[in-house]
Amino acid sequence: MINDAPVNIARVKRKPLAASTYLVRNAGKTIPLTGVIVLAVLLVAGIVSMIDSIPLSIRTIYHYSKSSLGITPRGDASLTPALRAEIERKAPVKPERTMLCRVSSAVVKSIVGKWPFIVIAMAQNDMRFYLAKLHATKLAGRLPMPGAPEALISEPVARNLHLKLGSNLLGPSNADAYSPNNVKVVGIAQTDEWLMVGTIEYHRAYHYPPVDVLLVFARNAEEQSVLDHWAEKYFKGRRAQIFAYHELEKNTNEMFQTLYKILNVVIGTLVLVITFMMAMLMNIYQSQRVQEFGLLQALGYTKRQLLQRVVRESLIVVVVGWALGVVVGFGLLNLVKVVLMDPQAYALDTADRVAFLYSVPIPIAIFLAASLTVIGRFRRFDPVGVVERRLV
Amino acid sequence: MIRAEKASLVYHDHGKEVFACREVDLAVQSGEFLGILGPSGSGKSSLLYLLSGLKTPSSGSVTYQSRRFDTLNDEERSRLRLREFGFIFQQPFLLGYLSSLENVLVARPGEERVEEAAELLESLGVSERAHRLPHELSVGEKQRVCVARALLGSPKVIFADEPTAALDHRNGEQVVDLLDRHRGEGSLVMVTHDPSMLAAADRVVSLIDGRPELPLDRASAF
Repeated sequence: MINDAPVNIARVKRKPLAASTYLVRNAGKTIPLTGVIVLAVLLVAGIVSMIDSIPLSIRTIYHYSKSSLGITPRGDASLTPALRAEIERKAPVKPERTMLCRVSSAVVKSIVGKWPFIVIAMAQNDMRFYLAKLHATKLAGRLPMPGAPEALISEPVARNLHLKLGSNLLGPSNADAYSPNNVKVVGIAQTDEWLMVGTIEYHRAYHYPPVDVLLVFARNAEEQSVLDHWAEKYFKGRRAQIFAYHELEKNTNEMFQTLYKILNVVIGTLVLVITFMMAMLMNIYQSQRVQEFGLLQALGYTKRQLLQRVVRESLIVVVVGWALGVVVGFGLLNLVKVVLMDPQAYALDTADRVAFLYSVPIPIAIFLAASLTVIGRFRRFDPVGVVERRLV
Repeated sequence: MIRAEKASLVYHDHGKEVFACREVDLAVQSGEFLGILGPSGSGKSSLLYLLSGLKTPSSGSVTYQSRRFDTLNDEERSRLRLREFGFIFQQPFLLGYLSSLENVLVARPGEERVEEAAELLESLGVSERAHRLPHELSVGEKQRVCVARALLGSPKVIFADEPTAALDHRNGEQVVDLLDRHRGEGSLVMVTHDPSMLAAADRVVSLIDGRPELPLDRASAF
């Protein structure tokens, strides 16, 4: 009997055919497979979250309108007092405050270009109420003085338009935000809401045509919603235009419906292409394992056992690939947000659930393709061909 | 223990029937070393596949301990092979990503046999290669690992299909000797075209054109 030195058994794998053993020891194959899934998840989640950032920007930029109902008379500014009286008389909930404002147009920047915005001009005591209502309790600078060519903006607007105290918000040379005089920023409110506020006296004196807006505030969000829906029905077909946040949401959703349909087709095609590629790649890798499968089957492993093992391996690859893709995607979106979006106050939800949900079909499709490929291969597999070296 | 009765194995080649084994009647006794001898193409490997349940006969029957292989499904035959048989093939097939010791363990999944596997490698003289991957081993060392794999768990029958084909004569003799010495009470069915490898066989069956000639005693095989 040949007796050799004793074997150190401490470092041996007790289950050498565990899926993890194959994956770890064949990193040259596992890493590219996982990498493709990571990139695919990254791509899909990135595209969807960037597209989602457009309606998110709309909701963010115009979110200030959620705290009030806007009503403006159509064609005749003299109707304003009658509208005000009617609201206070007929509204189903008693408004906390109704303020008369004037508006002028301006723009803000978004990732898809310039968007219209309004400067709401109001009396100074209304400004205090308005800022409190929008939880803007901190203010850098001061409130605009009555009648002065002065304005107050919020911090996101300042970042978006690169404005600071003393900058011109409106001016004679600004085609997008015209005013016959330079209207200077004298206050910057610390809030996430996007705001441009001017003085009503100045707007009455210098802005034509006069556009009156009644801002009607309810006591809380529930009552505001009741008020908004009531106004929408009550003033339908009458000489008044309603601006309510839920309308904005509805219009935004309708506007993006078609875009999302196109997006579904694009993502669906992408998933198909990636799945096809991955199935081909996995098929190649499985072909390289014919000898292994043949040997194990000849030794007595059942097709079911081998199939379960390959399915476990595929499952680990797709789950790890997807999870890594989500983590890397989240990290990358945060980087994009910090480096590119935040300096311009562009909205981007880095934890956009819809974006990451869109990436779920990728691992599922790849897993199904891989499993079906292996099932097909095992169905016609003859281990004798391998041990006779006919199939190697 | 294993009995083949009028067992034939037919392949179809371009619509033509080719008999790999033709009406073979053969019994493998418990604990015996049965040699199957024959030139290339004589059907000796096919007979081994029939006896081990890797193939089911086209006609006739093969029975292992009163169980006819053709009445078992693919899964039952596989389980039987894994539980009761050990295999060595012409080429020393090992899984490239597993060490020698792990390759041996593959033969008995789910069982705690690390110590036994290590002892087998020690007694086969390859303990220093226990943690090496197959590409780091010589062909002779690989075949010894395959022998250890076939012996693990003391199978009731060991099937060896030309186990010396990839080895030089000296290494070949060593492998057969190791198999014979370590098989314990298990039977050994070995296929070869080299009669000198069957010097230790209890019985030798010579195969020509898929049909056994009269059983030879050891002396007349040489």
